[in-house]
Amino acid sequence: MQIRDLPYPDPGRPDVRSGRHLLIWLGRNQLAGQIKATLWGLLHMAAVASFPIPVGLAVQAVVDRSGTRLALAGGLMALLGALSAFGDAMVHRAVVTNWITAAARIQQLLARKTAELGAALTQRVAAGEVVTVSTGDVEKISWFVEALSRFTAALLTTIGVCVALVVYQPALGGVVAMGVPALALAVLPLLPRATRRADEQREKAGRATELASDTVAGLRVLRGIGGEELFLTRYRRASQEVRVAAVRSARMWALIAAVQVVLPGLLLIGVVWYGAGLAHEGRIGVGELVTVYSAVTFLLFPLQQFEEIAQAYSFSRPSAQRAARVLALRRTEPAVGAEEAAGAWHGQPLGGDLYDPASGLAAPEGRLTAVVCGDPDAAGRLAERLGGHAAAEEPDTAGKEPSVLLGGVPLDEVPLAVARAAVLVQDKDPVLLSGSLAELLAVPCSGAVPVARALAAAQCADVLEALARSAPRSDGAPPDPMSATITERGRSLSGGQRQRLALARSLVTDPEVLVLDEPTSAVDSHTEARIAEGVRDLRSGRTTVVLTSSPLLLDRADRVVFVRDGRAVATGTHRELLGGAAGYRAVVTRQTEAEHQMAGPAPRCVPARDRPEGGTGDAAVRAERKPDPAREDSEQIEESA
Amino acid sequence: MIGVTPPAYDPAAPESATILPVGTPATVRGYVRVLLRRHRGAFWLLLAVNTGAVLASMVGPYLLGGLVQDVSSGAQELHVGRTVALFAVALAVQTVLVREVRLRGAVLGERMLADLREDFLVRSVGLPPGVLERAGTGDLLSRITTDIDRLSSAMREAVPQLSIGVVWVGLLLGALTVTAPELGLAVLIALPGLLIACRWYFRRAPGAYRSEAAGYAAVAAALTETVDAGRTIEAHRLGDRRVALSEQRIQEWVGWERYTLWLRTVLFPAVNGTYTVITGSVLMLGGVFVLEGWMTVGQLTTGALLAQMLVEPVGMILRWYDELQIAQVSLARLVGVREIEPDVGDGAVEPDGREVAADQVRFGYQAGSDVLHEVSLRVAPGTRVALVGPSGAGKSTLGRLLAGIYAPRTGEVTLGGARLAEMPAERVRRHVALVNQEHHVFTGSLRDNLLLARTTARDAELWSALAAVDADGWARGLDAGLDTEVGSGGLALTPAQAQQIALARLVLADPHTLVLDEATSLLDPRAARHLERSLARVLEGRTVVAIAHRLHTAHDADVIAVVADGRINELGSHAELVAADGAYAALWRSWQQ
Repeated sequence: MQIRDLPYPDPGRPDVRSGRHLLIWLGRNQLAGQIKATLWGLLHMAAVASFPIPVGLAVQAVVDRSGTRLALAGGLMALLGALSAFGDAMVHRAVVTNWITAAARIQQLLARKTAELGAALTQRVAAGEVVTVSTGDVEKISWFVEALSRFTAALLTTIGVCVALVVYQPALGGVVAMGVPALALAVLPLLPRATRRADEQREKAGRATELASDTVAGLRVLRGIGGEELFLTRYRRASQEVRVAAVRSARMWALIAAVQVVLPGLLLIGVVWYGAGLAHEGRIGVGELVTVYSAVTFLLFPLQQFEEIAQAYSFSRPSAQRAARVLALRRTEPAVGAEEAAGAWHGQPLGGDLYDPASGLAAPEGRLTAVVCGDPDAAGRLAERLGGHAAAEEPDTAGKEPSVLLGGVPLDEVPLAVARAAVLVQDKDPVLLSGSLAELLAVPCSGAVPVARALAAAQCADVLEALARSAPRSDGAPPDPMSATITERGRSLSGGQRQRLALARSLVTDPEVLVLDEPTSAVDSHTEARIAEGVRDLRSGRTTVVLTSSPLLLDRADRVVFVRDGRAVATGTHRELLGGAAGYRAVVTRQTEAEHQMAGPAPRCVPARDRPEGGTGDAAVRAERKPDPAREDSEQIEESA
Repeated sequence: MIGVTPPAYDPAAPESATILPVGTPATVRGYVRVLLRRHRGAFWLLLAVNTGAVLASMVGPYLLGGLVQDVSSGAQELHVGRTVALFAVALAVQTVLVREVRLRGAVLGERMLADLREDFLVRSVGLPPGVLERAGTGDLLSRITTDIDRLSSAMREAVPQLSIGVVWVGLLLGALTVTAPELGLAVLIALPGLLIACRWYFRRAPGAYRSEAAGYAAVAAALTETVDAGRTIEAHRLGDRRVALSEQRIQEWVGWERYTLWLRTVLFPAVNGTYTVITGSVLMLGGVFVLEGWMTVGQLTTGALLAQMLVEPVGMILRWYDELQIAQVSLARLVGVREIEPDVGDGAVEPDGREVAADQVRFGYQAGSDVLHEVSLRVAPGTRVALVGPSGAGKSTLGRLLAGIYAPRTGEVTLGGARLAEMPAERVRRHVALVNQEHHVFTGSLRDNLLLARTTARDAELWSALAAVDADGWARGLDAGLDTEVGSGGLALTPAQAQQIALARLVLADPHTLVLDEATSLLDPRAARHLERSLARVLEGRTVVAIAHRLHTAHDADVIAVVADGRINELGSHAELVAADGAYAALWRSWQQ
């Protein structure tokens, strides 16, 4: 795999039985890359390892006063130099390629897994884990993948050098061959503790960063109320703790560095001691002594790879474990093989009345139905149910409640994508994805609702104005808000602006059924009234369900369903219910029942099904008002704006 | 493949203008100087132990050179014992000092890093509230997380390692010259090639690494967003697009990886070649010199071994210089916060009385487009004023001017006759507080979350503040009481509880005037009603300017100001405005159905 061909057309199916399996799977998938890297590594190290030979030859040539052999040594040196430089560049390219391809593959797998899990992921603890894998673990796993081939090459070279030394100069080489394994293994016992201290330090640093970002996130509160010094002191303490932990960790690494100096040093002393004697007796040449000395100095280099692979493995194992766990996640829902199970669905487009058997809520086709639900959490759950395929927190409670029916077809049993296309549920906290405004609104849609119309219905004029100010300017042309950038989660916009953009996005989609949960909770009353008009006009003839307690929205709905304790208890128009349904007024307006009793007659409970559509409401309340004040009001608002 | 051009798309290029300033090179240099001066003791200590360690490491080659000399000249007595003993002593010294170098390097690096992050936070919490309102906290947040992170390895390693490397190279070259001045010449031969290659590389590398890092961060960011927006993505069937986006990010990132790989493909052979040339020329030239009788074999051996030792420090310098270049950008972003003018508070301005007034105020966020046009409003002490009107009319802006967060462009906003704009934030907030939808719960104990409003408060005062906002019930139920850890990582408070904490802070801070920017609008109705009781108690006896999204808030106010298009169009009590039958009356009727 060349890195210019990334990303993979298909990242494959990972072996997620365990972290080790995942590592092996990754390795198998880049076997060619690993072999290539190992071979280049061998060339590079062999060339570097052979460097002492010309050095020794040169010294010996000078001692023997031979100019020819000196030149020969020089030639050999140039050749080895070229080989090592070339090998170094190639091995670097090969291992970095392994790193990148492994990292890209895991990131691609994560992206696919995340998209597959969708809403199911947000409800699980796993959401944080996915992010951890993507931001931290991928690098650690790839580090191991990268280090592996370098280690293999180092191991082979070390063995090769030891063997060569024994052959070249059995007496001196023997000393070295015996010493090297000790050198390789000496620091290993120190590594776990050093790694542990490094982890402690990282943890403390993470804590300090968290405190700092928490302080900055609440900075407006601090500047507005006070307490800066309190928080600075707290941060200073955390920051100093990081410093102490870091120095403590450095103490361990300093010790390791010292061990790495003293052990090879002792080996060198041994070589000098023994070798000098041999040379003095004339049993070896001076050049040979220099060669062995240089060879020992060289061995320090592959030995470092031993330490690295031990570290890389200890870091990457928990990371690989977590990655395997995340990649093994599945969407738990009753209808996994939904395509075959869809008994009632034969591929025809979905449509008709929406009916929820669990609550008795019915939303007739083509009408705007408002739902008032006393408990906001229950409203959220109800909205989710209406879309079908609810991502239940407890897998075993899913499927107990009967599925919502759209035109008589149980939504849980049609394929997820079909259900989502037919019914769009906009939850209480819709997320604006970062990108340009044009990208934000380029969602899969029917095409029947132009973007401009949706934006107008959602009263986004002031948002467009604000965005135009930040849009990139091309010469002469007026700034185009559609090319303005929306930052992550739309943080640069106010809560109300975000809400209206999200509404516009849902309107553009133009689904068969649109379910909106509290779409205007952060919008002021003036704007809310206009949005209510806009949505009603734009959605005329389409099925729309709005969960809300705002009178401005309720007043413009074709019918209102009052849900209490999970059951639809009353149905009618807003004004009918105001007069009739017990508890409705309390939820909708801020008046208490007692205040209402003073203002008008006692409320009558009106059972939902017994009531004729469009029947008279509470005459006493209506008598005080003009025939149709809602329409006039909105007209007046239009004029005043 | 000969040459790779940098990808056209640069993920490190700022998408929108950076809101807060970035430090100029002069500011950055100045700051680094200050930092080094503050820690010069640790710095010199590091250099001293490092010099010692390097000198000790050169003993080996000297001794071996001597031995070679003795053997080749056929000396009778080799003094191997003495040589080995010296070698051992040198090794012991080197071992101890190498450990010290690592340790002292970490101590210095960590101290500078701690200073840096603490300095930054000190500066950040001193920023004028107006700057924060306008810039938001996102930019600051990315500086304190990403940039501090990037600087960590640079400060922790690059500064000490670079100093070590430079000293090391200097000493080796010095020793080489002392051993055999002629060999110094051999090193010079290798220098030009290295300099040319480094120049080429360092011109391109820092920017490329920055883009590469930004590209990789974008890969993770795309995924994080997909996770975060799981529901929205599923509802809108955006899954495939998110996968495609992730792959596009990977492609962009990999493009930069490929480019930096090419840069190293050029640099590495050049550096490797330099080593070969140094060792080769030392041996060849030295060999010729020995043959000519200008120097001894011993000198040659020592020289060759010293020349070989150059590999490590040169590699070190190249590697950490790279890192330092990248870190410089982050440093500039951190230091940039220092360039923001602090509050220009006039110590002498003290309010006389409690009346808040705006007089013919004009204000705009951008030159040439005012948001408020000649707005005048007088708020008598103890009264409640509600600002109502459509989005974007200027209600919130007016509220912020009355709270002293922004200064008017023309006209004046006064508190007790004194201009708010001339008072430092610390004084303004003793009198006026802005309460908005943002009710941040800080990570830490419940006590810390309250103490910030009055740092000297005793527990009894904290409890009575909690009682005043109806929060003592659940707070007393907490296992650790005031010591309970709340906020992210601790106990998660409900939005209503968080709002109560915010209100309790107000009780403790006790300002006489409050500007409420729809403090309860994001809550669900039932919690809001509960909170309103708490809020009502907090508001008692104070002057209140409330920016109202919901009309019932306006209903209870003494005066209602209808703001539209940056002007106050209607002003009066609820009854007066309803009687006047204007826009307010219309809306009220519709809402009151």
